[in-house]
Amino acid sequence: MRKRTLSLFLTAAMTATALAGCGGGNTGTPEATTQAQTTAAGGSGEAQASNGSGGGEAPGEFSYPMAPGDKLTYWCELTTTVSANYASLGDTPFGKGWQAETGTEIEFLHPPAGQLKEQFSLILADGNLPDLMEYNWMTDYPGGPEKAIKDGVILPLNDVFEQYCPNLTAYLAANPDIDKMIKTDEGHYYVFPFIRGEKKLCNTIGLMLRDDWLQELNLEVPTTIDEWHTVLTAFKEKKGAAAPYCFEYTNGQYLTNDPFAFAYETSRSFYLGSDGKVHFGAAEENYKDFLTTMAQWYAEGLIDPDLATLGSDQVSAKITNGTAGASMGQAGSRMGTWTTAARSSNPTFKLVAAPPPTVEKGADAEFGQIENQYSGRASVAITTSCKDIERAARLMDYAYGEEGHLYFNFGTEGESYEMKDGYPTYTDQIMKNPDGLPVSQAMSAYIRGNYNGPFVQDIRYLEQYYTLDEQKETNGIWGDSNGAAHVMPPVTPTSEESKEFSTIMNEINTYRDEMTLKFIFGTESLDNFDTYVKNMENMGLARALEIQNAALDRYNAR
Amino acid sequence: MEDRKVNGSFGYRARKDWIRNRSLYILVIPVVVFYFMFHYKPMYGAIIAFKDYTPALGVSESPWVGFANFTRFFKSVYFGRLIKNTILLSVYNLIFGFPAPIILALLLNEVRNKRFKSITQTITYLPHFISLIVVTGMLTNFSMTTGLFNDIIAFFGGERSPLLQDPKLYRTIYVASSIWQEVGWGSIIYLSALAGVDSQLYEAAQIDGAGKWKQLIHVTMPAIAPTIIIMLIMKMGSLMNMGYEKTILLYNPSTYETADIISSHIYRIGLLDQDWSYSTAIGLFNSVINFGLLLITNKISKRYSETSLW
Repeated sequence: MRKRTLSLFLTAAMTATALAGCGGGNTGTPEATTQAQTTAAGGSGEAQASNGSGGGEAPGEFSYPMAPGDKLTYWCELTTTVSANYASLGDTPFGKGWQAETGTEIEFLHPPAGQLKEQFSLILADGNLPDLMEYNWMTDYPGGPEKAIKDGVILPLNDVFEQYCPNLTAYLAANPDIDKMIKTDEGHYYVFPFIRGEKKLCNTIGLMLRDDWLQELNLEVPTTIDEWHTVLTAFKEKKGAAAPYCFEYTNGQYLTNDPFAFAYETSRSFYLGSDGKVHFGAAEENYKDFLTTMAQWYAEGLIDPDLATLGSDQVSAKITNGTAGASMGQAGSRMGTWTTAARSSNPTFKLVAAPPPTVEKGADAEFGQIENQYSGRASVAITTSCKDIERAARLMDYAYGEEGHLYFNFGTEGESYEMKDGYPTYTDQIMKNPDGLPVSQAMSAYIRGNYNGPFVQDIRYLEQYYTLDEQKETNGIWGDSNGAAHVMPPVTPTSEESKEFSTIMNEINTYRDEMTLKFIFGTESLDNFDTYVKNMENMGLARALEIQNAALDRYNAR
Repeated sequence: MEDRKVNGSFGYRARKDWIRNRSLYILVIPVVVFYFMFHYKPMYGAIIAFKDYTPALGVSESPWVGFANFTRFFKSVYFGRLIKNTILLSVYNLIFGFPAPIILALLLNEVRNKRFKSITQTITYLPHFISLIVVTGMLTNFSMTTGLFNDIIAFFGGERSPLLQDPKLYRTIYVASSIWQEVGWGSIIYLSALAGVDSQLYEAAQIDGAGKWKQLIHVTMPAIAPTIIIMLIMKMGSLMNMGYEKTILLYNPSTYETADIISSHIYRIGLLDQDWSYSTAIGLFNSVINFGLLLITNKISKRYSETSLW
């Protein structure tokens, strides 16, 4: 018997060995990186030396493309609208053109889809850093951006901006509020940021509902909680919607920006109160009012009974087939996609944006969804492994200049856009792609303006991306609130505090998520709301708020 | 001294053994290398459980913090719940999941129609090859108020309800679907053990007047008992190793109460919040318990049945 067992083990082990071979493909990238770095070592010293000695070019004399030099490695996530057609950003017309325009050879490295954070940590642990890394350095580096500089991972960019980045420096001088956002408390610049060029671009999520149903039932677009109740009830009773209000509950950004929570002037997370202090919405009395309404709606069957398990596919199906009549989401990826999908079978299908609801009729909405112009996302840092800093900096600075701005947002003139009366208009290559690509994918081949990256996003992209009238209205309707006064500015806890903060918030957030659903489902009585708040306090909520408020003070003092 | 003359020194014996079994040694080299590279070398990394690890500083440079990461876990409000959920889920998985393939193998063994037997086997294997993402996707959809499970419940006059939002039902769904996934695959090893039973034993038992049931109890079961015990010991060793994949695909905040287990907690903190040291500490704690369970089961088995891993 023993022998048999042994052979069993051996077979198992051998199988495991064979399987391990399949996983070997990944290891190539770090090596490639090292090679690129060692070859880069030669030319870089000179570039820096010449500049230091004063004999180099002054910013004014510089012009693109740069003289040929060493290859740079650039690490970034490949967004789905690109990866649908290309294996690398370097294969896209955008990537090729960017290299030609700037005279830089770039080797693009992409983490596997959905593994951005894991791969980021692996690269750091490995130590062979790419020259340029596109990441959310503000929120997703453990300890924050200042720690990343202290750890010797990325370079502080103050001197680099001054020496090599006339475009970005000029932009920041003209926009001091953004300048404040992209610095650390210590005053260090650390990334080439992704910036939403206008406030209108910061307003992306809102409520929407079936306009054709409203017309049929002779109802107005609801503006208050009570009107919403009436409309949803009518949808249920008269239109047979089994789940009148249904949204993608498993998607965190929708929860954080829940318009109905905003109606009660609260939010499930941190917000800036009218007193200028940071508050944690989910532990305040207003949140109880919000939960009370949600629990009532849930009990009355106005909210999808399967709420907690809803993913985008299910919501999409329910909206398009009339099981649901109202939802929330983006104007492009949700409203536009659903409308296109539904109209093939139901030509009268129409969604309309609803303004941020309020409790009192006619009151101005105090809270609303709005993002900071700089969210930290998709911003590029130069790592300490980069040898040719000038080349890297000038490559990045290109996007913040006039030429680069057009290139990043509209692509190549004559190919992806034409100038019509000074307005960059996308060509049919984008809007009616000859290969039948959806607009979002055709755009992603030529520009980065429709998703993100290290540049300033242009509103004129959005004006053309939205093709339906109801989409074009969304910015005005959803943005009609005082939300900007309550959104947390991009504060950063100190590296010592950030660990303590995340430890506390981890427990609190888990608890809040769990209890919120229980309150809504009615499995936990709202009489226990006080106990729930007390439990969060025991988990260290006061300390978390103290850390956030201190960070806010430092931010305001920047 | 006598011994030495017969067997020679260790070096001599090793050399002789090498010459005699050279091909076997060569065969085993890749396996040894594999285990060293992928199972022993990474153990070095476990020391970050006692450090405040940052990737930039690396394993060796990160500062030591002693047992801070462990105490943080023990003090966590979720500690008790995580342990309880992990143990309950794996115990249920063991109680219901372990006998299932044995029973299936015994049943299949009695089937005389070759065609029927192989078709049944193939059908029961199939779920094993369906990707977990697909399986959980199906479960999620089936459990919704409009899903298949609710259609069945409604057909028998029950009330439709979102099944995956009920903490009480979570373990049942988890365990039952695990059995569905693995029962066919798990029965293979028992079927092969059954194939090795000497048919003369059955003939002898028949002559002694044993019916099917008696044959099962007195011939079949003793014959496959060693396999069952080895499988049980191995299973015990991974009792606390409930993988996070299925859990994170199946749970949602409303079922955390029964669904959140140690590994899903590690996933949320370690991979999403990148708190590597803390998650390693929990992982290490988990492994120590597993190792203890393995030792205990092995000891018990050794005492009562002569079968053991070593």
